[in-house]
Amino acid sequence: MKKKRFAITNMILALFVLTVVLPIAVMIVWTVTERWAWPDLVPQVLSLRALSEIFRRSEALAKLFASSIMISAAVAMASVVIGTLTARALVLYEFWGKRMMYFFTVLPFMVPATVFAMGVQISFIKLGLNNTVAGVVLSHLICSLPYAVRLMMDGTAAVGDRLEEQARVLGASMGQAFFRVTFPLLVPVILSSFSMAYIVSFSQYFLTLLIGGGQVKTFTIVMVPYLQGGDRNIACAYSVIFLGITLAVFALFEKIAGRWGKNTDTEFYT
Amino acid sequence: MRKKLTPYILLVPQIILTIFFLIGLITGIAQSLGVIPAFGLTEPTLFYYKEILTKPDMVRSVLYSLRIAFFSALFSTAAGVLLCAVLVMSRRTKGRMMRIVQLPIVVPHVVVALFVINICSQNGLLARVIYAFGLIGEQQEFPALIYDAGGFGIILAYLWKEIPFIVYFVIALMANIDGKLGEAAVNLGAGKVQAFFRVTLPLCANTIYSGFLIIFVFALGAYELPFILGATTPKALPVQAYIQYTHPDLRNRPYAMALNGLIMAISLLSACVYLALMRRSQKKLAGNK
Repeated sequence: MKKKRFAITNMILALFVLTVVLPIAVMIVWTVTERWAWPDLVPQVLSLRALSEIFRRSEALAKLFASSIMISAAVAMASVVIGTLTARALVLYEFWGKRMMYFFTVLPFMVPATVFAMGVQISFIKLGLNNTVAGVVLSHLICSLPYAVRLMMDGTAAVGDRLEEQARVLGASMGQAFFRVTFPLLVPVILSSFSMAYIVSFSQYFLTLLIGGGQVKTFTIVMVPYLQGGDRNIACAYSVIFLGITLAVFALFEKIAGRWGKNTDTEFYT
Repeated sequence: MRKKLTPYILLVPQIILTIFFLIGLITGIAQSLGVIPAFGLTEPTLFYYKEILTKPDMVRSVLYSLRIAFFSALFSTAAGVLLCAVLVMSRRTKGRMMRIVQLPIVVPHVVVALFVINICSQNGLLARVIYAFGLIGEQQEFPALIYDAGGFGIILAYLWKEIPFIVYFVIALMANIDGKLGEAAVNLGAGKVQAFFRVTLPLCANTIYSGFLIIFVFALGAYELPFILGATTPKALPVQAYIQYTHPDLRNRPYAMALNGLIMAISLLSACVYLALMRRSQKKLAGNK
């Protein structure tokens, strides 16, 4: 009986792992596939055409890199900074309008980005932000920020302000107390907020399409036409490259957070 | 005095962004009521809402989107919770298994659409495997899972992404409760499964509901998957809204905004239902004490 249950558990887990990994593996195979006609289970002709086509236009790729990754990194950075400020205000202070402010910070969770995008475009046009990188960053920021605020609020609540007050009593300035005491304790949460905000921005298609007006090219904007045009090799190759970079960056973050955690994971956290 | 001002100073950037957000919402709502001063329309009216709720193709869009959002959220939540339970009970809540869980969260929806095309189309790997087993004799016998009127491919794509999301969302809490209170229940003589269903699961209910809500609202308002994997008709609400939005005749814009208003109304309504459910389960928990 016990053994049987164990077998079922393992089967469910194996099925899950297969479902997650298989599409990624197939995508990687597609990047080097030239011909894969029905009904073969493996491609008939392999080639590096898609990869070499992408790398031949290395200037375009570099540009896409710069705009796509820079936009998402800028959005994530701004989300972390603003998220930290907002979380401090909402967690550590009592003030008039606090509940309303909290409601507004999480409201974008409840309103889809498409609805927001179509409503705000006219204002962006009037402000000259439409079709600009700044406009895209601003619109992504509005959608990424709630995630950062939520995570930073949990982090700020866990760290609290007692240690900071100690530092203040001992003569540190407000900035010193924050950067020398609270900030190091917040680093793991900051990294996960950054990652989350980055993912949200990086995955945006509609907002970028509308506010960027096709002028601002990001990974999703470049990839969708290939997907629809049936040039699957190129779509797969782009996806593999960009996913690879994203995963590498996150792995690095996790390493930093892990090392940091070892140094600072003391009783303050519990 | 300075202390009193501090929170407001901290909130300045947040407030600026919130204003942008609200401008978007208010503009959208005003236009959905037919108020576009630039076109000489100033009289608010519910005409456009009435139109979208009575025109047959619009109604079909509404039902199609609701269907996709509901089934995506329902199946993701159910499978996610089951998987989470399996992981918790087999003590695999950290390490390599969690990396696999995190992977789909990083993958953008457009790439998931690519996966679904690669695997589930009539030319995809799944059809080939089934053919290799001799279950179908021809490519066309494989059911059309994408670009289909049922939205099956879209739901599959959401499942791939959102089941791991639910696991990620729930697992920390579930592992914690199962390790403490579930353990206590087992010590008091409950079976492991019994302890899970009577103790751990009810205590995770709130988080599970909010996971469902997040997926439902997201799937209702998201554009990319129905745009790439959806049928020609019916079209999902956001796709339909965008078509009206970019219509050469600018007088069609209020239709787009009314469709958006409908998405928003359904989202907010489900948030209210969620809050009511949360209140109830909190009361129940308090009552059981």
